[in-house]
Amino acid sequence: MAQTKRYGFVIDVARCIDCRACLVACSVENEVPMDNTRIWVHDLGIKGTFPDLTRSFLPYNCMHCDNPPCTEVCVSGATYKDPDHGLVLVDQDACIGCGFCVDACPYNARYLDNERGVVDKCNACVQRLDVGMSPACVATCVGGSRLFGDLNDPTSEVSIALKNARSVQRFDLEYKEGVFTGPNIYYINGDVLQSGMGPRMPQYTLAEQGWKKALVPLMAAAVGGAFMVQATYFTKQLIEGEKEFDE
Amino acid sequence: MSGYKNIPVEERRRLREKKYKKHNLANILTHWFNVASWLMLLPTGIAIISSPRLGLAPEWWQTLFRSMFGSTANLITFHYTVGLIWIVILGFNILLGFRRYFVPFAAHRMLLDKDDIEWLKIKPLQMLGFFKGKELPPQDAYNAGQKAYMYVVILGTLGIMSSGIVMTFKEIFPPFLKQIAQPIHWVSVFSIVAGLMVHVYMGAVFPEEKEAFFSMFSGKVSAWYARAHHEKWYYQKVLEEMEWEDKVMSETQQASEDKPLSDHPLPSM
Amino acid sequence: MTQPVVSRRDFLKISGAAAGAVAATAGMLRAPVAQAAVSANLLDPDGDGYISTMCEMCVWRCGVRAKVKNGRVVKLEGNPEHSHSQGKLCARGQSGLMTTYDPDRVLHPLVRVGQRGEGKFRQASWEEALDIVASQMLRIKEQFGPEAMVFSSTHNLSQVQFENVLNGFGSPNYGTQRSLCFNAMVTAFLLTYGVEEPARNYDTVKYILYVGRNMAEAISTSETSGMVEALARGAKLVYLDPRFTKTAALASEWIPIRPGTDLAFLLGMIHEIVTYELGDCEFVKKYVVGCEELPAAMAEYTPEWAESKCGVPADTIRRIAREFAAAKTDALAHPGWRTSNFINSFQTERAIATLNAISGNVLVPGGCLIADSPEASGVSLGKPPQPAYPRVSALRLDGVPWKYPLVPLKLGVFQEIREAIITGQPYQARGWFISRQNPVLSIPDRKRTLEAMGKLDFIAVVDVIMNDTAWFADVVLPEASYLERYDPLHVVDGRIFLRQPVIEPQGEARSALWIYKQLGERLGLGDFFQYADEEDYLRQQLAPLGLDLELLKTRGYLDPHIEVEEPTEIRFNTPSGKIEIYSETLGNAGFSPWPTWEEPATPTPDRFYLLTGKVAQHTQMGTQNNQLLHKYSDKPRIWLHPSAAEPRGVLTNDLVRVRSDVGEVVVQALVTEAIRSDCVYMTPGYGHLSKGLRTAYNNGASDSELHVTYTDPVSGGQALTQTFVTVEKA
Repeated sequence: MAQTKRYGFVIDVARCIDCRACLVACSVENEVPMDNTRIWVHDLGIKGTFPDLTRSFLPYNCMHCDNPPCTEVCVSGATYKDPDHGLVLVDQDACIGCGFCVDACPYNARYLDNERGVVDKCNACVQRLDVGMSPACVATCVGGSRLFGDLNDPTSEVSIALKNARSVQRFDLEYKEGVFTGPNIYYINGDVLQSGMGPRMPQYTLAEQGWKKALVPLMAAAVGGAFMVQATYFTKQLIEGEKEFDE
Repeated sequence: MSGYKNIPVEERRRLREKKYKKHNLANILTHWFNVASWLMLLPTGIAIISSPRLGLAPEWWQTLFRSMFGSTANLITFHYTVGLIWIVILGFNILLGFRRYFVPFAAHRMLLDKDDIEWLKIKPLQMLGFFKGKELPPQDAYNAGQKAYMYVVILGTLGIMSSGIVMTFKEIFPPFLKQIAQPIHWVSVFSIVAGLMVHVYMGAVFPEEKEAFFSMFSGKVSAWYARAHHEKWYYQKVLEEMEWEDKVMSETQQASEDKPLSDHPLPSM
Repeated sequence: MTQPVVSRRDFLKISGAAAGAVAATAGMLRAPVAQAAVSANLLDPDGDGYISTMCEMCVWRCGVRAKVKNGRVVKLEGNPEHSHSQGKLCARGQSGLMTTYDPDRVLHPLVRVGQRGEGKFRQASWEEALDIVASQMLRIKEQFGPEAMVFSSTHNLSQVQFENVLNGFGSPNYGTQRSLCFNAMVTAFLLTYGVEEPARNYDTVKYILYVGRNMAEAISTSETSGMVEALARGAKLVYLDPRFTKTAALASEWIPIRPGTDLAFLLGMIHEIVTYELGDCEFVKKYVVGCEELPAAMAEYTPEWAESKCGVPADTIRRIAREFAAAKTDALAHPGWRTSNFINSFQTERAIATLNAISGNVLVPGGCLIADSPEASGVSLGKPPQPAYPRVSALRLDGVPWKYPLVPLKLGVFQEIREAIITGQPYQARGWFISRQNPVLSIPDRKRTLEAMGKLDFIAVVDVIMNDTAWFADVVLPEASYLERYDPLHVVDGRIFLRQPVIEPQGEARSALWIYKQLGERLGLGDFFQYADEEDYLRQQLAPLGLDLELLKTRGYLDPHIEVEEPTEIRFNTPSGKIEIYSETLGNAGFSPWPTWEEPATPTPDRFYLLTGKVAQHTQMGTQNNQLLHKYSDKPRIWLHPSAAEPRGVLTNDLVRVRSDVGEVVVQALVTEAIRSDCVYMTPGYGHLSKGLRTAYNNGASDSELHVTYTDPVSGGQALTQTFVTVEKA
């Protein structure tokens, strides 16, 4: 069944005033530990020399990608792209907090919650979506910069904002041959691509790479070999018939 | 030097009917408990431990089990619950019988000697078709292949248990340990699985070893089987028997003073 | 992110323990909150649900919907029905529950046992603590007269009962924070429009002029949103500020004006508009006093003259004046917020009032400047009966009105009280009762404030947390946080809003209504507190309107549907009934009746203007201990321009020593292009002395340590930016 909704964010860069209400709201709503954060407002810096100065801010969180590199490395299936609406979520009960996905995310959107021993990140406040509220950051955004909704619905606030935008950008990344992350945060009315806040290629930890490149072929050979041995004997046995008395 | 093929038919018949006890109850129960646990742990484990990038299990298998248990989290909960029970009972068994069973077992039946090394060199080549006529060196209660597999199982089991505990108690252990726990768990499992394929085939399917399979229920093997496949152990058992007979004889001799063996009276009415 | 003092686990443990402790103390004289909320159907039988109340993290007091789960507040949402919030909360509003669950809360009455400032207190019962406070106050009254007792409180919802303590006691010495903040604005607008603070409407605004109003960082939730909306709609924002704030980053045009010379800029604009009759002449003729003489009064203030004072090119001033005037009623010159910058700030405010008036955008239907006070709505709440206040014969220590003839009594000149305590003139104050206020950090020249406190026999403080002033007190009375208490009702845009407890107050904390009543009764002032409890008080407030408290509790607000008659003619609450650009009141008091230029003080070449301001993540000096805000706050540093930093060998994060005429601090530097080279800016509100604030203690430096006390003779407002400092590498 195809994904019916495509939940995503639209950030109107021109409206962000870096008040950080969103950061506090998210921390409270999702009980984020004091030394982690799920969302950011990046300061793109004061540019120019006095008095010709500009400054803008970049609200930022998990991109809920169309093709998330993070879900590809999850060994327990704890993180997944929801088939109905496309949000990339983490099931805390299934996650063991190994952190493969943290390194794999090109946007550094994930963190390890050391108290609970799991990985966490923006979940678009799916617990609020379930009761008809918008994500905490969006609901409280004083400047009206953060928008959220179904990008597949032309009447949603995000679709309308995109339609009326002066400019639209995304931090898209081709991380495999012909495969793009397809982030679902659209930045409008501001240039963010020159900001230096763009994504990096997914990284794979030593353990994950060692597993994939060395151990898998090794065990494939071992198990395959053992299977072949046993299969050979079994076949031989079938062909030659069983000997009740082995002498 | 085995030469068991030269034994005449009548002797073989006698030997076939004579039984020796090879496995005690503790061994048997532990073995089948292990089998039952593995039957629950292996399929669920395979359904869990795979990522799209690693591709370690077919997706339909994962989906099947996830929906069977309702959710990935439930599947994992089942797996580590059974796993913890398995660890506790197995660990308990081994520790309880550590001095009385495990240590002697390890000392007598697990150590590799010269014959075992020789066997390990010849047997694989024989299986590939070389040295067809050559006789294998005599083996003990467990042949070298079985001993080697025992090591795989013990190390593998320790690997599975330790990595399983790290992954289950995720709040306690740091991410790095959890990262290496996953491949360790997987390699341990499949090392055992690789040997398991031979083990199950040999134990349950291969006709020559049929007695071995039933011995995992009765605890007994025939003297013929022992003589043919585990010669050193067979002679040890014969020796034990003879010693036992001597012992009994000397005891009864004590009781009936100087009565020679041949004059041993029949039981009175 | 900085190291947390309290981990998340600890935080949950503490709030859980607090809830448990409360269950044990619940056998006191009030109805358990949760039970009441359940029977009001606000919470379900499990104790989960939303309760409407009001924020108190700043003066904007947004409506809040507090989410309660298992007797704990777990999330705060803006109340969409409250016009100040419109469904949103700023960072401070969102962090409010962290103040309620702050491990450094004062939860029991405390009595000092060590030296003042040692922070050694013993826990006392309410009875004992209140008895001590009352007996000390009565002793002072008997020995030295009631005027020897100073009462100060930053204006808040329970102010009316605080004033009952003050006025019932018979002391004239009322210190509010207003002279530290917006006396200039309030006095100027009272004199010009007859209104303390005109309300602003951004619905149709096309041209906005902010004189230092850093709307993006000194956040008033709905107004900040309104500004962003207006800009998104294409409105133009001209912003005057010596510093490139976040508002400057949003503005269409940022004017890095020399501090103290905004007045010249505005006078230049006014000159241009009135000389060329670009304003709304009809409006001015009808509603403005001094219409004909205005051009002559402004004759000298040409844009060229203005350029010589403020450094902004005359053509720029001219152009902006014309753009402003062209926008007519869709132009808004913001009256200002904190206007305590220079002694000429009063005149600056008068100029802003004038500018709006000549553009005709004041009190015009649908216009941007509504010269009704925000609370004027025709809703008159009831109150408990009380006798007349006793006559007060003593002079006020703050010099109102004998030294400051035009300062309204309700505003006062707070910093003068501090001086009077030190000098003992006109008489020696002996005691100080402080509620919801932090004068140790808010009054300029902190050393002097501490010196003044040393001269007092007795200091009692009502507060939620062990802030700096409480740290130096003799008795600390714990007020319940705003999420745990009732306060008198608040009318906003014609709606009556309620603050009600959403959880059981923790420890022994109580509402101010209760504290003042208890204290009042012990002072023999029971007649001024004729309410049985908080709910009784609220019922008496609602009685004249025939409204039901239970309904109010359920909905969080009530609409009394008062029909306000549209006035047939526009009338201003001034002596003449018109806008008094020419103010006879001012003239009679010996001040210039016209808005007039006053030369501001300037620093010598080796010194800098010490700018202050606001950050969006904190409220003045009250929230620095809130760990959630601390998590997302920038490090407090002093900004200086590279041209100032380089000769001093200062790099970002180097420690620098900052010296003023009254004090010095050591603080980290931030070298940035975003400030004039003759200015420095220190993040305000830091440098706490109280070791009872484990997150805030010793973080950053306090500007109150540096500020020199200057007071404007007209409005009584202080002039913070007239403090000049030297900066060197530490």
